[in-house]
Amino acid sequence: MPAHSTQNRQMYWRIVRRLLGSNRGRVFVILLALGAGAAVTAALLNLQVDARRRITSEFRAFGANVIIGPRDGSQSQGVNQTIEESVLRRAEMIDSSQLLASGFLYVVINVAVDHTREPGMNSSWAPAVIAGYSNKNFLSLLPSRAIESTEPTGWDMPNCFAGSAVATRLHIHAGDSLTVSTVTKYEEPDPTIESQCYVQAIENFGSAEDNQIFINAEVVQRLMKLPGRFSVVEVSVPGTPSQIDAYVLRLKQAIPDADVHPLRQFTEGEAKIYNRISGLLTTTVVIVLLLTGLCVMAAMTNVAMERKNDVGLMKAIGGATRRVLRLFMMEAALLGLAGGVIGAGVGIFLSIWLGKQVFGVAAQPRLIVYPVAVALTVIVAILSAYPLRRLASVRPASVFRGEA
Amino acid sequence: MFLRLVADSFTRRPRRKVLTAAALALGMAVVTAALSVSLDVGDRLASEFRSLGANLLVTPQGDSLPLEIGGVDYRPVNSGAYLPEADLPKIKTVFWHNNIIAFTPSLELQVGALPLASQKWIDKVSLIGTWADHTVRLPDGGKFQTGIAKTSPWWQIDGRWFSDDARECVVGTAFARKNYVKVGDFISLATGMVTKIPSPMKVTGILSSGGPEDESILVPLSSAQSLAGKPGQYRKLLVSALTKPEDDFARRDPKTMKQDEFERWSCSPYVSSIAYSIAQVLPGTDVRVIRRVAEGEGTILTRVRALLWMVTLAALLAAALAVGASSAASVIERRTEIGLMKALGAGSSTVGFLLAAEQLLLAFVGGGIGYSLGIILARLVGQKIFGVAPAPSLLVLVAVLALAAGVTLLGSAIPLRRASRYEPAPILRGE
Repeated sequence: MPAHSTQNRQMYWRIVRRLLGSNRGRVFVILLALGAGAAVTAALLNLQVDARRRITSEFRAFGANVIIGPRDGSQSQGVNQTIEESVLRRAEMIDSSQLLASGFLYVVINVAVDHTREPGMNSSWAPAVIAGYSNKNFLSLLPSRAIESTEPTGWDMPNCFAGSAVATRLHIHAGDSLTVSTVTKYEEPDPTIESQCYVQAIENFGSAEDNQIFINAEVVQRLMKLPGRFSVVEVSVPGTPSQIDAYVLRLKQAIPDADVHPLRQFTEGEAKIYNRISGLLTTTVVIVLLLTGLCVMAAMTNVAMERKNDVGLMKAIGGATRRVLRLFMMEAALLGLAGGVIGAGVGIFLSIWLGKQVFGVAAQPRLIVYPVAVALTVIVAILSAYPLRRLASVRPASVFRGEA
Repeated sequence: MFLRLVADSFTRRPRRKVLTAAALALGMAVVTAALSVSLDVGDRLASEFRSLGANLLVTPQGDSLPLEIGGVDYRPVNSGAYLPEADLPKIKTVFWHNNIIAFTPSLELQVGALPLASQKWIDKVSLIGTWADHTVRLPDGGKFQTGIAKTSPWWQIDGRWFSDDARECVVGTAFARKNYVKVGDFISLATGMVTKIPSPMKVTGILSSGGPEDESILVPLSSAQSLAGKPGQYRKLLVSALTKPEDDFARRDPKTMKQDEFERWSCSPYVSSIAYSIAQVLPGTDVRVIRRVAEGEGTILTRVRALLWMVTLAALLAAALAVGASSAASVIERRTEIGLMKALGAGSSTVGFLLAAEQLLLAFVGGGIGYSLGIILARLVGQKIFGVAPAPSLLVLVAVLALAAGVTLLGSAIPLRRASRYEPAPILRGE
């Protein structure tokens, strides 16, 4: 019987081919609907995974969320209320690629402005809070908006940033140079008691930082004779709420000699917002996928029901119901495969593009999404051909008479 | 006759029509649910972001430069400016008063504290006078409930907040630990030279804030005012307002705007325009946007909103294609019928009208059912995630019905155009 079964198989595939080729318009319509479903499935699955990660990196906009400060009463006199530089290094060592950290040394010091824009102004000494920073990118830890800014100077002078309140009060503008000093009178420049800096920008923080002038920490440490000391280390820890908790725990273990505490305002707020957003996204995506699947299925069933005549004809010439059904299932599966392969491919590109639109960064395609989307499409296609089973009871004659 | 033909088509093959309508309804339900959620999410998330606390800070304009490190002000006592508490109800009279969900004034000073249990004076304790849960009488006769629990929602209190008119206080957790203060203890507070021990305040709770407040004592604003000798005055006001994410337009300086631009700017609840309107009703103040809170909020809100719009768009696309395909199929299938009608002398336009009427009827029925289904789903999502269901929007209904009609017509138009070229005879012969 091998020859017979080969022939059978040949016939089977021939019929499937003819079924697919018989009506181009219909095949096109089916592929369009299945492909659209597959594209949306692939795009949303891909985007959903990517978006949750991106949202957590958006939380960086809130700045530092962990503060490392001195432990109560653990410091000796003189260097009271400061921590060692090594705290910063130990914090950064935990995950240098993910964590952003900077030490800050806060002191009240005298400031005088050498006005370049208002030559008539007299510079006089005024006390102000100076914050020494150890990381050039400290502004990412303290979100702000620049009110004025200039190019950094090329001279051999450190750059500094002034908060908006102190700038208004002391009439500081970007491009001015400031002299900071531990004394208010001096005869000739003495690098141990005074230093100059070039105001690169005026920043508006909307909080206590508006009253501060930011200079490189080394300058402040030298002036205050506190080498290698910081008042606090601020850390921006990325990730989901549980990742942040894990980081805080590791920081606490790595730095037992200082007080590590999360800024609850931001860690708790972030956790709440993250959970909401991620829940919202998941539910919306699930609902959209489910309904889209059902919608595609209903549309496909509608198309499949049209094959009544074909089923009737095949039965009339002696096809067993199961074999006839297998033919149509195969057709549906092939169409589902084709629609899925094309649609999911389109969907992945769609999600890359959408990711770029929303986050400015292309979403990384996840390869697992592709087979999942294709498989789902094939399942939907087969399921939508399934109602043809009901046609098993079709009496060929009544179909041809145009009844039913 | 026309109506009869349409009605006949529905009664003759009800199952097929039900399937087409089901595809339509499901597709439109996706669109409705996604649209409703997307339209609503901005407002919902904006209030979610208020769990980050206040986004506006009001300080006196003529204030001297604060020398504040770690929450401790190193200025000499009594320097600096104050603001009148009596002006505060005016905040709820600004144009965006409904967006202002809470405001809390505070007055900070350094005091000496004497816990009655230890009988030992503690110098230079930072004291914060504020509102725990305060009823503000508004100029229009209404009442507004506000307080620190709303502007700093992350603060945890072990015990309860003080009553605003009682001699009660709340101590920070670090202060309590250092000085062995418990809930139920009494503390006397005084400024300057003490001649006699003032009447003590009862500790009603221990505050854990994760900030400098952990080292402080919090008392009702009125108690702080009498300790500072500044009755009816405060120094710092935190305002929590619902805002619209800032765009490039919102970032412009209002002083450089033209008249109509300024109107558009002040009629949008940007954080900067709310700040501007508060500064208008509270003269002599500096209203600053707390960038840390506001900047992150803006970008994240914009991103999430864009993300949901993308999901909506994708859902719309898939639903439209599936529904279009379904109606195209239903036209293709009726080639014989079309051939017959044309053989009997019907023009292409009559056939087109007939089919279009059928499709439109289906679109409205399916769209309507889909809209109801989608609204129910959107309510479920809203209820589950935010605890608030989005209000059904008429705009969405119109959009959904229009989309349903458009998609079905477009889907059937292509096969119809081909059908209009059919010669009736070969179709009837089955070729």
